[in-house]
Amino acid sequence: MEQVGLAAATTDVTLWSLFMEAGFVVKLVMLGLIGASVWTWAIVVDKTLKFGKVRRQLDAFEQVFWSGQSLEELYRTLSDRATSGMGAIFVSAMREWKKSFERGARSPIGLQMRIDRAMDVTLSREAETLEARLGSLATIGSAGPFVGLFGTVVGIMTSFQAIAGSKSTNLAVVAPGIAEALLATAIGLLAAIPAVIAYNKFSADAGKLTARMEGFADEFSAILSRQIDEKLQPRQAAQ
Amino acid sequence: MKSSLITSAVLHGLVLTWALVSLGSPKSFEVSSMESIPVDMVSVEELTQLQQGDEKAPKSEKPSPVPTKKPAEINDGENIGDNSVDLKTPPKPESKPIEKESTGAIKSEEKPLPTPEPVKEDTPEVTEEKPASEPATEVAALPEPKQEVQPDPKPAETPAEEKPAENPDAEALPDKVPTPMVKPKVEQQAQTAKTPDRKNEGNKTEKKKTSTAMKSDFDADQVAALLNKQDSSGGGKKRSTETASLGAKKTTGNTLSASEMDALRGRIENNWSVVAGISGAEGLTITVTMQLDKNGEIIGRPEVVASGGTDAARRTFEGSVRRAIMKSAPFDNLPADKYDSWSEVVVNFDPSSML
Repeated sequence: MEQVGLAAATTDVTLWSLFMEAGFVVKLVMLGLIGASVWTWAIVVDKTLKFGKVRRQLDAFEQVFWSGQSLEELYRTLSDRATSGMGAIFVSAMREWKKSFERGARSPIGLQMRIDRAMDVTLSREAETLEARLGSLATIGSAGPFVGLFGTVVGIMTSFQAIAGSKSTNLAVVAPGIAEALLATAIGLLAAIPAVIAYNKFSADAGKLTARMEGFADEFSAILSRQIDEKLQPRQAAQ
Repeated sequence: MKSSLITSAVLHGLVLTWALVSLGSPKSFEVSSMESIPVDMVSVEELTQLQQGDEKAPKSEKPSPVPTKKPAEINDGENIGDNSVDLKTPPKPESKPIEKESTGAIKSEEKPLPTPEPVKEDTPEVTEEKPASEPATEVAALPEPKQEVQPDPKPAETPAEEKPAENPDAEALPDKVPTPMVKPKVEQQAQTAKTPDRKNEGNKTEKKKTSTAMKSDFDADQVAALLNKQDSSGGGKKRSTETASLGAKKTTGNTLSASEMDALRGRIENNWSVVAGISGAEGLTITVTMQLDKNGEIIGRPEVVASGGTDAARRTFEGSVRRAIMKSAPFDNLPADKYDSWSEVVVNFDPSSML
């Protein structure tokens, strides 16, 4: 804030003075765009951290899963704590498996279907958390420039009205008004460009992670279906 | 999410602060203070306009044409005065006694004839000149032949020319009588040249002279005397004493300015009573070409050419324009120094705009 005051005191054409001299609508637009920019970067930071975390979890889980450890044991360790990603899928599938076997499931096909469903639900929930807030990035990216342009048009309109009032077309009279109006577009672009870039990057990343989880779900489903066959056939043979 | 939001807000705060500090005050453009440059508006006219002068002369501030040669003055005047031509001075009382003397001299030989004669001849035309200027000898020489010839002036002249070189006086006299201005000068030259002869022989052979004068027609001296010995003065009357400056033979490129042309056109249009409600004037254009003299009067008839429109409208307008032009002449509002450009004027009219 001290910076701001200082800048305004020194010269006429600082960013701060431009902002302060702008009209109400333009100010509102600028503030909104600055807010959008803050939100964009918040999402960017959040997603970067989250995607990194998810990727690490997936790596760690795959390593544990394919290490040859007993699935029962793995389930026991994972079911106690909150899991995400592949862990969540694995836990949901194992829970369904356990429930069905404890009650003595008769149909292997029905069991297989239930397990798949459970995994699908968990998968889509996980994908949703990955893609959460990417939509607002897209919105900021596409609407930001327009909002900025709106501010500019309004600003230039008011500055032309001012010119008409002052009855002078001297460049010194015209320039500040146009500069402050253009500031709105500048801020709009400043918010929109990172938003567009981030949206493209994160939606691609989310797609990749989701695909990886889907792959795991399919693989695990295949493993479980093999297990179901193995466990149900002796029983049927005995009967 | 909260932590990232805070992170983002903090980042923005930092960036904005940095922007306010570093982008806060852009350098103002350096405008070096320049001296104002005087700008001249040059019209094409100024470049194409030629001033009268000499092609080889250096440029000079003041335009001046080729210097004229002042015709060498032949200091042959006998009469004192301010005239450019030596005219005989009006009669003075003092001159008369001289005449009397001369007549007296003549009288000694031939008394009766001379006196009445010159008087009679002169009185009708140049009564005053004669008595004052003519030396006595001349008058004395004349009488006899004159009397014979008197009824016919021409015969009198021809015999005069025939005279030998010795006495031009006799023939000079009749010559002088009819022509007032130019000839006297030439004649006097001749006389001055020969006066001594004249005087020597004058009294002795009066009769001989007159008789010989009748015989010979040609006299080389006389012709030489008649020749104009003055240098050609260049045809013009305007004098220039400056050394020539660079220029063309004639001053050209002076065109009537638009406003002068408009003034001319406006003058004609003011005097133009356009027939109201005439049909067929659409697309009618009238071109008037007229020659003007220096006073703005029209020389000859203005040439009026109408084109477009119907026949009837053309005829009507041609007539009305001609009347308007005649009415507005003389065009005395044209600049005299641009006469070259308006000696022949072409004016175009669009009568449809005047209806």
